[in-house]
Amino acid sequence: MKLMKKLFLFAALLSFAAAGPAQAKDIVMDGSTTVGPVAKSFAAYFTKTTGVQVTVSESGSGNGAKSLINGACDIANMSRAMKDKEVAAAKAKGVDPVQHVVALDGIAVVVHPSNYVSSLKIEQIRDIYIGKVTNWSQVGGPNAKIVVIQRESNSGTQDSFKSLVVGKGNAITKGAETQASNGAVKSRVGSTPAAIGFIGLGFVDDSVKPLVVNGVKPANETVKDGSYPVARPLFMYTNGQPTGNVKKFIELPKTDDGKRMISELGFVNKY
Amino acid sequence: MELGTRKILDRSFTAVGVTSIVLMALALLVVIVPIFRGGIAALYFDGTIEHRKLQYDQFGKGDPDELSVQIAETDRHRSEAYRFLDAFEREMEGMDAETAGNYRPGFRKVKEILTHLLGPLPGEQEPILLRFQYGRTRWEKAEETLHDLLFVTKWDYSNPSEMAKEYFVPRSDEFAGTALAGLFPYVEDNLRNMLLPEPTFYWGFITNKSLDAHIFGGIWAEIQGTFFLAVGAMLFAFPLGVIAAIYFTEYAKDNFFTSMLRSANSTLAGVPSIVFGLFGLAFFINTIKVSESKSVLAGSLTLAIMILPTIIRAAEEAILSVPKTYKEASLGLGSTKWRTIMTVILPAALPGIITGGIISLGRAAGETAPIIFTAAVSVGATIGIADVFTSPTPALSWNIYNLASEHEAANEIRHVQYGMVLALISIVLLLNLSAILLRARISKKLKG
Repeated sequence: MKLMKKLFLFAALLSFAAAGPAQAKDIVMDGSTTVGPVAKSFAAYFTKTTGVQVTVSESGSGNGAKSLINGACDIANMSRAMKDKEVAAAKAKGVDPVQHVVALDGIAVVVHPSNYVSSLKIEQIRDIYIGKVTNWSQVGGPNAKIVVIQRESNSGTQDSFKSLVVGKGNAITKGAETQASNGAVKSRVGSTPAAIGFIGLGFVDDSVKPLVVNGVKPANETVKDGSYPVARPLFMYTNGQPTGNVKKFIELPKTDDGKRMISELGFVNKY
Repeated sequence: MELGTRKILDRSFTAVGVTSIVLMALALLVVIVPIFRGGIAALYFDGTIEHRKLQYDQFGKGDPDELSVQIAETDRHRSEAYRFLDAFEREMEGMDAETAGNYRPGFRKVKEILTHLLGPLPGEQEPILLRFQYGRTRWEKAEETLHDLLFVTKWDYSNPSEMAKEYFVPRSDEFAGTALAGLFPYVEDNLRNMLLPEPTFYWGFITNKSLDAHIFGGIWAEIQGTFFLAVGAMLFAFPLGVIAAIYFTEYAKDNFFTSMLRSANSTLAGVPSIVFGLFGLAFFINTIKVSESKSVLAGSLTLAIMILPTIIRAAEEAILSVPKTYKEASLGLGSTKWRTIMTVILPAALPGIITGGIISLGRAAGETAPIIFTAAVSVGATIGIADVFTSPTPALSWNIYNLASEHEAANEIRHVQYGMVLALISIVLLLNLSAILLRARISKKLKG
């Protein structure tokens, strides 16, 4: 008996040992992994400048939308626009999703640096993804079977890529391998010589080689002037017009500091 | 069977047994050693002046006088390097537009790498993101960046039938005969003076919060989050589990209803953890709304349901292993059933119950899937006890996954990932060790 009491006391003590002060109402964000870097940097900046805590989860655009519909987050980060189905589901729950553009982002189609294919037509990329082209030699590359890498169905990047490159009516080849995030696609392509994948422009580094698409290099300038064909805006959604701290947060991309953060992270400013 | 044959069989069986144990130990070493080595590197490494600047600016750690002396010294060596840049810029102004244009992208790259190595160049706008405000904080990373500065990675595409081979060309070739050519040997020779690496014990890795999404700083928020979640799960699951076990062993009749309950419990033990995660999201957050959004409370409840079957089973086993004579003696002396359970059976079964509990605690600390949707976030503040009902929290298991797959700078911060893995493994090992010790102590007490 004594022991039992001691144990419970110990557990109680332990849990109070780490107690800290409570905080003001914080902002909860959920959603896209592509918007993740921007969201995380904004969060750190916002907490530093206003003292309001911001938490960021990166579970994919689809989950972000679901979270917002269920009232489980203040801001849903999405790398695609909300679908009609999602908007309808939101309306049914009395949630009014309002769209805000955070930044523009090119989707870089990346291959391993050892692959000497450095430029493809958008049709060729489509043929690779629908399984019509299965060997690099068919598009002027080395004789190697193409390892096609896609994202999970929950991904906004996947969604944008499908509508911009593959075409809504076409199914991606069954042999495609699915990775759950930009980072995972990058590390898979960076370690697989015959792979092809696609990632947000902000994620490109020296471990992968971005392809020139239709003769246009993916870069800040080409995304901004609209000449790079595989580009899309990145969104944050709120329930109704934002007020108070959430409004301040949403307006960060229009401030000078916000713009600088976005370009330092490799994304493109809209404003 | 012949005696000889028997002996041979016996011996070969022993040999197989010993070999398998040795193999298992080796496999464990193969897994543990790299984790340990990588994890220690997060705490003990050659820290550069940039690391010390960051510590002083962000956490107020370090001796400001010593630091300013060191900064003055490194700046002296750095200004030499920056002089090369200025000289080359002046030289470019004197060139015709085309030649200068050819040098420009290469020069931009050089400046970029130098910024990465030493922090913002003089005269440039102070970057707003912390990760770009400092140079390389770790010497081994600085050496990698130095290699990038000295060599351009090229790919040999000459053989069209196979994948290209990687090779390196000195970057200085590009700038041969210009004022910039001297920069490369200078930086190579003087990098130590520019960064002053010294062996650093960074305890802050455990006690500091993370800065700029884990690129700098420590993992305290994650450790604390893991702790809250695991202890919270125990607070719910342990009493429930023990009560259920007492019911099953002492009160339940042997009928259809009880066997249903038992099989339900066994089924629950076999459910994959991601299913618990989704259930937690659907039930605790979306249906009964224990909190507005993800929270430690929702995560703890989900984990509690996940470890409940294990606790029930362990407690049942422990109660059943109490000798019948104890119970009979107690009842024979006239005490009630309740009293017997509380004063005789439970104390005798306690070691087993506690062990089961602590092993479940370790499992709750290490699980990722149940907390993804219910409690874990990639970035968040260290929360206080008052926030557990409303706030989500970073947690080790989730952040290890996040850093390995989703983080935009995953390759840059492998050491943080290793450090987190080491922290998590240490926590689980410590818990299990304490289970063993506690059990030994209680057993001794009960025997005496």
